Amino acid sequence: MPQSLSLRRSSAARTERAASPAGWIGAVALHAGIIAATLFTWSHSNLDIADQSPPVVPVDLVTIGAKTNIAPMVKVQPKEPPKEDVQPPVPEQAQPAPTPTPQQKEESAPPPEAAPSAEPILKKPPPVAPKTKPQQEQKKDKFNLDAISALLDKRAPAASSSPNAKVGNRTIKGIGQQNAMVMDLIDTIRNKMLQCWTPPVGAPNAQDLIVDYDLFLNIDGTIAQPPQLVGNSATATSPYARAAQEAARRAIYVCQPYKLPPERYNDWKEINPFRFDPRAMMGQ
Amino acid sequence: MKKFALALSAMLGLLFATPSFAALQVNVNQGNVQPLPIAIPDFIGDPAGANIAKVVSADLERSGLFRPLNPKSFVDQIKSVNVEPNYANWRVINAQGLVAGQAQMQSDGRLRVDFRLWDVYGGQQMLGQQFFTQPENWRRIAHLISDAIYERITGEKGYFDTRIVFIAESGPATNRKKRLAIMDEDGANPIFLTNGSYMVLTPRFNPTAQMIAYMSYVQAKPRVYLFDIDSGRQDVLGNFPNMTFSPRFSPDGNKIAMTLESGGNSDIYVMDLRTRSMTRLTFDPAIDTAPSFSPDGRQIAFESDRGGSQQIYVMNADGSNVHRISYGGGKNGTPVWSPRGDLIAFTKQGGGFHIGVMHPDGSGERILSNGWEDEGPTWAPNGRVLMYTRTLQGGRGSQIWSVDITGRNERRVLTPGAASDPAWSPLIQ
Repeated sequence: MPQSLSLRRSSAARTERAASPAGWIGAVALHAGIIAATLFTWSHSNLDIADQSPPVVPVDLVTIGAKTNIAPMVKVQPKEPPKEDVQPPVPEQAQPAPTPTPQQKEESAPPPEAAPSAEPILKKPPPVAPKTKPQQEQKKDKFNLDAISALLDKRAPAASSSPNAKVGNRTIKGIGQQNAMVMDLIDTIRNKMLQCWTPPVGAPNAQDLIVDYDLFLNIDGTIAQPPQLVGNSATATSPYARAAQEAARRAIYVCQPYKLPPERYNDWKEINPFRFDPRAMMGQ
Repeated sequence: MKKFALALSAMLGLLFATPSFAALQVNVNQGNVQPLPIAIPDFIGDPAGANIAKVVSADLERSGLFRPLNPKSFVDQIKSVNVEPNYANWRVINAQGLVAGQAQMQSDGRLRVDFRLWDVYGGQQMLGQQFFTQPENWRRIAHLISDAIYERITGEKGYFDTRIVFIAESGPATNRKKRLAIMDEDGANPIFLTNGSYMVLTPRFNPTAQMIAYMSYVQAKPRVYLFDIDSGRQDVLGNFPNMTFSPRFSPDGNKIAMTLESGGNSDIYVMDLRTRSMTRLTFDPAIDTAPSFSPDGRQIAFESDRGGSQQIYVMNADGSNVHRISYGGGKNGTPVWSPRGDLIAFTKQGGGFHIGVMHPDGSGERILSNGWEDEGPTWAPNGRVLMYTRTLQGGRGSQIWSVDITGRNERRVLTPGAASDPAWSPLIQ
């Protein structure tokens, strides 16, 4: 800092030394000419500056991230009533998910070299070998990742539905409090996760499969330390919950490094909770 | 002056310092459902190891949840199953899982197979197991390994060490032979259980044993029979004057619910297999058939046209509290309760025949299959996959297809020739 100041001062001194009396006179004359030109015009009648100026409108200045990705909001189409004459009974509400006390738990990694466990010995030989070979006809998978709901239900889509509109399912939860300034960071991470995270879509009880991690990142976007489970997911121990936790963990690793602006490192060096919520993908 | 500069810089520092205490909150609710890339090199040691790795690879690929990587892309090889792999060498080919195994012939003539599943990105072992068996059992070892990997990754039991019983069809349409046949889940080892001299329909597996109930037209009289796969012995189930059909075992395997037709009226009965005593459950003059127990044995789903069209109803196992659950339009029949209990699969008729699922209260109905005429669903023992009969348009025969309950991974099941009416076995004990 002092070095740059001294550089600027010496350059100004050189400019002063270079100025001559003739230059001074020229500059004064030029300024006087400009002022005079603003005072004298050929016609004064058309000057009505005050009347033509637009009224002052107060504005609120709102700072938001450079990029947002809010889904368009559309009206939800009311569902068609069943065509049958008999009306279905109102189903009872599903019981609420248990809410265990949030308790942080350290995830302890098992020793990498656990001895393999002995398994029971098989008893019987399989049935006789085939005489006819199965036909080798296979059908390739058809994944249409842009239409998850269509994959979940193969009925023909309703003709009245808007083709590219969807209800904003992320209801503005992220906006407000801290998140207006970091929407672009959140969008960047979410968009990246779109390619890395495979939600556990076939498992039952999707609400039990929400996973929260606490993740610390290095400034180059790599993972600084293994992500730690937090919140309710830290205490979930069912095989499905463990599979969901590991799927999210794999996604966190596969997606690194996260390309985020280093000058805003303080905004993203810790992500907590880093939540993986499969419910929207499971139609639940 | 110096003090002023210091004070000024301190004030500027306070103004521009960024508060760094709040962690970023990110809620990810959209992903990309794609199979897990997994590397399965040939197991080292005995030549059987290469075959085992290939069967494991095929099993996992068939599930639609795994994508075994092409071995040609591997830049590293397994030298010992007991040494931690160099994860970086497997990360460069984007493998997220690595299966390393070895097969060794023992001095007593048995085959020993070890394998480990490694988490390539997490850098840790996820699973390690060891098997001893007769060498000719190598396919079962492969299926058991597939089941273990599947369970470790998805959280639910596998279904590769299972068998499918089905109706093998042969001959011209005017003189179609329908024989009871059985094969491994991957289509290997198909054998015929009956000789085709009489027609066989609707086989159903006992969920606890290798036993099948089915309907057969012996002496032109349709009746329910029991077939013990291990002994090959078959018995008629009760000697009723009228036809019995549509059998289904209870979850404990001790009872069979079935339909008994009498005087043009079909009703549902349940038979205790130990005492052979029958209890009537429905008394409606309409057709009540296709019973299926809930996995806890307390309820039975069935189809009935008592409301004017064929629909799905649920009642308690004693016949009380009958209520309709299908309201999604069209006709709905052949309900089959998932072993997991969360869904009922069924056949929907209306614009073709399709396989669908709904919750036991009738909510959340979804259609899963895409065929022209799909019917008769059967569940994998883990409640994750369905098989069903697909009849091809234009009298081109029938095939067996499978689909995941998410509607993904719809594919044909390999059978020797035309096949229908699949029934999925429980896991082999």
